[in-house]
Amino acid sequence: MTDVARAAALLRAAYETGKPVPPLRGEVLPTGDVDAAYQVQQAQVVAWEAAGRRRVGAKVGLTSAAVQQAFGVFQPDFGVLFADMAVPDGAEIDRGRLLQPRVEAEVAFVLGADLPFEQVTVADVIRATDHVLPAIEVVDSRIAGWDISIVDTVADNASSGLFVLGDQPRRLSDVDLRLAGMVLEHAGEPVSVGAGAACLGNPVHAVAWLAQTLAVAGAPLVVGDVVLSGALGPMVPVTAGASYEARISGLGSVRACFEVGETA
Amino acid sequence: MSTVDQLAVRLDDAVTSRIAIPSSGAGTGLDVPTAYRVQQAVVDRRLARGERAVGLKLGLTSRAKMTQMGVDEVIWGRLTDAMRIPDGGTVRLDDHIHPKAEPEVAFLVEGGAVTAVAPAIEVIDSRYVDFRFTLPEVIADNTSASGFVLGAWQPIPDGIDNLGVLLEVDGRAVQVGSTAAILGDPRRALSDAVRLADVNGVDLADNSILLAGAATAAVPLRAGSYVRVTVERLGTASLRVGS
Repeated sequence: MTDVARAAALLRAAYETGKPVPPLRGEVLPTGDVDAAYQVQQAQVVAWEAAGRRRVGAKVGLTSAAVQQAFGVFQPDFGVLFADMAVPDGAEIDRGRLLQPRVEAEVAFVLGADLPFEQVTVADVIRATDHVLPAIEVVDSRIAGWDISIVDTVADNASSGLFVLGDQPRRLSDVDLRLAGMVLEHAGEPVSVGAGAACLGNPVHAVAWLAQTLAVAGAPLVVGDVVLSGALGPMVPVTAGASYEARISGLGSVRACFEVGETA
Repeated sequence: MSTVDQLAVRLDDAVTSRIAIPSSGAGTGLDVPTAYRVQQAVVDRRLARGERAVGLKLGLTSRAKMTQMGVDEVIWGRLTDAMRIPDGGTVRLDDHIHPKAEPEVAFLVEGGAVTAVAPAIEVIDSRYVDFRFTLPEVIADNTSASGFVLGAWQPIPDGIDNLGVLLEVDGRAVQVGSTAAILGDPRRALSDAVRLADVNGVDLADNSILLAGAATAAVPLRAGSYVRVTVERLGTASLRVGS
């Protein structure tokens, strides 16, 4: 079995058993081999699609200066989103689906046109965006204790879990995403605050990076795709039974509610 | 000289000499009410030099800072006219110990009513070595107050509870946040300030500027840099740092 196949098998086991696995870097995958990590991610994506899961878009990760610094990387990463990861606004989230969830507030882009270009401008992204929505991404790690490097998180589908989209679409022309304030509240207390500029200077930049990267990889973004563009503030560990509300200035609000259950 | 006056003199001397004093840690026996008496004595020394009281500032308005200091209530300090820096004006490092800038929102209180809001920069400069202090010590030190810049006053728009806030140094965003970091909504700072002013006999009508608290972490000032705060829908306030 190749390293890539072994890593994919370990991650699959983590999903199946609900038990996280030790870090892959330095053990199963060479430390710093991001290409191999994307091969691990791709192997899982192929298997998931073969199993009938519907691919609906992608997420961008590592979009904040602080997180990039912590990871020692100077570019974002991406993961693939499937329809069964989407949770309706305010619906109870089954903790059994998650290992060690955290939440972060983001801007979701919904595309009204394909973005097949290997060189992408901000203008391309703006033209291709049908609307934007407030979103809460429920990130999760199949790696024990979130002890992750760039290699671990890329292999693990960029630490994707579930996502909640708000349902009041806004046009990009109606909002100033760079300056848009973000607050994520739990029980009336802000637990994470930020603004659009925290995401690569503007969430639109994250989408441009993703479109270009995916086009080069031969799997470009297409009309209807949902893009989770990256966190606008620090991510927050989920407390059992907690309900989180994200508000993004100009975009409205969205909620992620977690079942009372055992904490991971 | 009483202990209150002694500490007030040491803190006031640190401002003029630009030499920080060491924290005495938990062993001083300074309690919060006494600390506010020291603060009053520090401010009185400024007023005796001809400065004029122009308002209040609130501190520890974020949950993170409250937790860090182990308190669940905001603290407050006094602003004087000498602390005012014109918008776009210069702050000289030589006039300070180790100044830092914080993005804030300011309110204008006139005749007991809040009439306007402005984007603001607060310059803080603890008179304690390395910004290390106990809660009573920072209260005694007028909550590290040193300077402030106000952007343009304007009517308060609907919903100022989640405005994006950027602190840029030389055109690069170094802090990004939201006014939600200020007590969940900076308007709550207003009610806190009104209550504190009332309890402490401060006449807010005559002390009309209110700095509501920091929206992000503070950034150290470096010689030659240009610092700009932008608040969504409110605009900007800026300063230059001279040596």
